Amino acid sequence: MIRGAGLLLTALYAAFITWVYAHQPRTVAQLTGGMAASVGAYQVDRNSFNQGVQFFRNEQFEEARAALGRADPARQDATTQFYVAYSYYRQGWGRMYNDDALFAKGLETVQHAIAIAPGNRLDVPDPGIEMRTADELRAELSRGLTKDASDLNPMRFLARRK
Amino acid sequence: MTARWPGPDAVRESFTLPLLFLSVAAAGGFRMPSGGTGMQFLPPPVMALVLAVLLMAVMVRAGLLAPAVLVGEDRTGLENATGAAVLAALFVGSAQVIQCLAPESGLLHLLYYTFMTILLWNTLAAAPDRMRLLHSLFVIFGSAFLLKYVALASLYDPEGGVMRRVLTTLLEGVALGTLQHAPFAPVTGYVAFFVVLVYLVALTLLPRARTALLAPRMEPGLVADAEQVRLVETRERTDIT
Repeated sequence: MIRGAGLLLTALYAAFITWVYAHQPRTVAQLTGGMAASVGAYQVDRNSFNQGVQFFRNEQFEEARAALGRADPARQDATTQFYVAYSYYRQGWGRMYNDDALFAKGLETVQHAIAIAPGNRLDVPDPGIEMRTADELRAELSRGLTKDASDLNPMRFLARRK
Repeated sequence: MTARWPGPDAVRESFTLPLLFLSVAAAGGFRMPSGGTGMQFLPPPVMALVLAVLLMAVMVRAGLLAPAVLVGEDRTGLENATGAAVLAALFVGSAQVIQCLAPESGLLHLLYYTFMTILLWNTLAAAPDRMRLLHSLFVIFGSAFLLKYVALASLYDPEGGVMRRVLTTLLEGVALGTLQHAPFAPVTGYVAFFVVLVYLVALTLLPRARTALLAPRMEPGLVADAEQVRLVETRERTDIT
């Protein structure tokens, strides 16, 4: 009985450690949130999420990320992470040139959002945004970070932010 | 009816030892960079795994680890499973302790693994007893801890201090680029300290070999070679029956 219980506890503890090393949480919030998400018990703070989306629509991107960060401290909600990535895109987009640092953060975030989304598919049916899937956003951010001859195309000045 | 060897304490074997060694394995890879970029959990490199095998061989040679007491034909399946769990946890814990004390990169990283290999090999050749091996490991791991988390941490401490001034004076003329070191937040050092401490304490809790328990019952001056020990063991079993 004692040995069986000990073996079970050891196996659970070893599984937890393996999970930690596989997921590499950066903060305690990510650690606890990730554990909760793995058993389906993680929920975002809905009020902070709504506030973040409102800031996002008002073009207040710093404020939007702060609110979305409060809503999803463990970075386990794919939709919230999608909005965070989108905020980096909109803030970093420029008619003459893009802010590479913001685009890089956006790309990292949208890749994370895709990784945690069920089936690695993420559709956000928000009429206020033009790119409604994480794949489109990722492609747009990747294109923005690519340096090639098309950067010199004068037609670029006519491009519009999505 | 035959009296069976009682074996190590079931609670210690089922709970204490695996949980202690797994805790060491978990915390051994913990790093907190000084830039505050968040926690890191580093898995052991291949070299640490190789040294962990060498370290376990040294433990077996010294009688600190007795695999036959943990896994053997005279034990039930469940007992063997818990014993195997202890061995597996000890292996991973040993690898993580070795990695935890290693400088992360550069010349010191190379020197650390070189000297650790030589030290363990030398200890294996010397065939120390249980207590001497524990003392030896205390010195080896203690020195490595002081080197990485006291000396190197002081050398790369941005706020400086007496230790840094002493070390930079001693190392005058040595380019610090050679002594590459990634500075960590102080919490990493505290965690590493407890990792080493818990590991050494857990080693002292490992069940002793049967011969080690039988030895005090033998007549003084009796040579404890394998055959004689076997005879004493057989005699004792017969007495119990």
